[in-house]
Amino acid sequence: MSLRDVALEVLAKVSGVERERISPEMDLVANLGLDSAKALQLLVELEERLGLEIEEDDAAGLNTVGDIFAFLDRAASAR
Amino acid sequence: MGTSLPDAPATIPEALARAARDYAGRGIGIFDNRGREVERKTYRELLDLANRNAARFATLGVGAREPVLVSLPTSWSWMESWFGVLLCGGWPVAMAAPGGMAAAEAQLHKVDQVMDRLGARRIVATDAFREQARAAGYPWAEDGVLTPEGLSAIAPQAGFRPRSAEPGAIAFLQLTSGSTGLPRAVMIPHSAAVHNPLASSEAIGAPHGAPAHAWADCMVAWLPMYHDMGLIGCLMLPMLTGLDVWLLRPTTFLARPRLWLEHLGGHGVSFAPAPNFAYQLCVERVSAGELEGVDLSGWRAALTGAETVRPETTSAFCDAFTRIGFAREAFMPCYGLAEGPLAVTFDMKREGVRTLPAPAGADSGLGLADVVCTGAPIRDTRVRISAPDGSDRADGRIGEVWVHGPGVFAGYFNDPEATADALRDGWLATGDLGFLHDGELYLTGRVKEVLIVRGQNLMPDELERLADSVTGGGGLTRSAAFSVARGVEGEEAVMVVEVADGQPEGLADLEQEIRVRVGRGLSLPLADVVFVRRGRIPRTTSGKMQRNELRRRYLDGELERIDR
Repeated sequence: MSLRDVALEVLAKVSGVERERISPEMDLVANLGLDSAKALQLLVELEERLGLEIEEDDAAGLNTVGDIFAFLDRAASAR
Repeated sequence: MGTSLPDAPATIPEALARAARDYAGRGIGIFDNRGREVERKTYRELLDLANRNAARFATLGVGAREPVLVSLPTSWSWMESWFGVLLCGGWPVAMAAPGGMAAAEAQLHKVDQVMDRLGARRIVATDAFREQARAAGYPWAEDGVLTPEGLSAIAPQAGFRPRSAEPGAIAFLQLTSGSTGLPRAVMIPHSAAVHNPLASSEAIGAPHGAPAHAWADCMVAWLPMYHDMGLIGCLMLPMLTGLDVWLLRPTTFLARPRLWLEHLGGHGVSFAPAPNFAYQLCVERVSAGELEGVDLSGWRAALTGAETVRPETTSAFCDAFTRIGFAREAFMPCYGLAEGPLAVTFDMKREGVRTLPAPAGADSGLGLADVVCTGAPIRDTRVRISAPDGSDRADGRIGEVWVHGPGVFAGYFNDPEATADALRDGWLATGDLGFLHDGELYLTGRVKEVLIVRGQNLMPDELERLADSVTGGGGLTRSAAFSVARGVEGEEAVMVVEVADGQPEGLADLEQEIRVRVGRGLSLPLADVVFVRRGRIPRTTSGKMQRNELRRRYLDGELERIDR
């Protein structure tokens, strides 16, 4: 499973929006309804699924689904 | 103000000194960001650290009654800084630290507004915060930001002695939402900060026949220190009563709510407060199966307050966690507000959550069908229900909740108008609506237009300015925000936006823009965006928006939406 597939799966689980309806340009708060608790849940679930440690500060400025993809790509290549 | 508490310290410094002297071995444990490692220190150590930092603030020239902001996550740095400012005679002002995915710009802007409003020159914050403030060009960024590391490098003033304080003097400022979104600073006297936690411990313990601190070992909490429920309820209370307290960071709890329950089951007989949404979060995110080996039977009081208590939530929580020992009657609804300075009433009957149907014909404000009993006033405190003309409402009749007692605040800093609105002949007019029944308080809604969404207080103005910045509204067309509480989710934000005649095209894009702007600015999803024709938001003859009336029309389906 690719990083993006995992991210989509986790995004769908946390937001309750169907995976097929989630696209990169979607805004995490405005379109997926992620309040601060759900945004933190997203980070925790991504950590657990991908075996990463994500520092909250590194996650600042992630606004869209596409931002999450890019962030995970960076995190994976830095490993 | 009269108080009948025996053996109470008169001030916060006295309370800290007493905790250090009399409660040997007791103290505060603070967990790291991930909730793994805990750093525990005794009240004795806290006193020493605070004294040393007070002497450093003295070296820096922090003067009496100087407001100093403390914007750090829950940590020992926070403790040293907040108490250090206080022992130096200044007024500590706890403020949310930027973090998570929330927009840093919004938080910087808020800090700037608060500094300006309070005439403050200094803020204790992280290095990262200082860098952001510098980059954004705030004038106070260069000399005004003190980092914990920077502070520890400063030589304590030789021969420094903590300033003594009068019980009636202001001890600290607590930020709360103001009518225009700009925070107001609630002035809390020492006497109120001491009386309220002690009287609360008595009320929390009442069902068990003794104050909570007589039978509990500890509190386990995650509430932010910039919130009254955190500062007064989860720091002052254990310090004043000699209990251990285990503190998780708010973000740690939000990320992993399981940890709160685990620790509640792991440190002896405990009690803990939280807003309704936290219990809901536990129901949604934690299963009893994940809590293998955790026993919640020692959690004697699960206080629920600071936002509307939902019987659906408490009942779902019981269904989920009674199998690991949680007692249904441990739920204890309570009511209070930062101006109080925390607690006003507690349900002391120990029968679990009790409700009454919302009185017939009542404007129940948030659209609630059942209203929860939040109990009777704490010691030395009275509650009355006021009609708009100031006369008393009879039992069962809804009016504004007014509070009288030693906890009532001393006014808003530098805001005589708001103070005069809230303080009337020694009574605190709370802006909350409710009724009394057999001496117990039931809340039905609010006169004030604040939205309380998942524990976060927001003024409509904060949302509306963001929406207006998208639409160019604010003049003839406007937007109006309010909250509704329809289900277990608790309060959700709704935005009504007026648009000029005959332009339904482009509304979908406009809606998206508004959702993004509000979402990023406040980390707040909107439950609904409603477009209406110009002039459909009700206003008084003087032009003031009537958001509560708008909410009623929305809930009753009387609002004519423009389809998009």
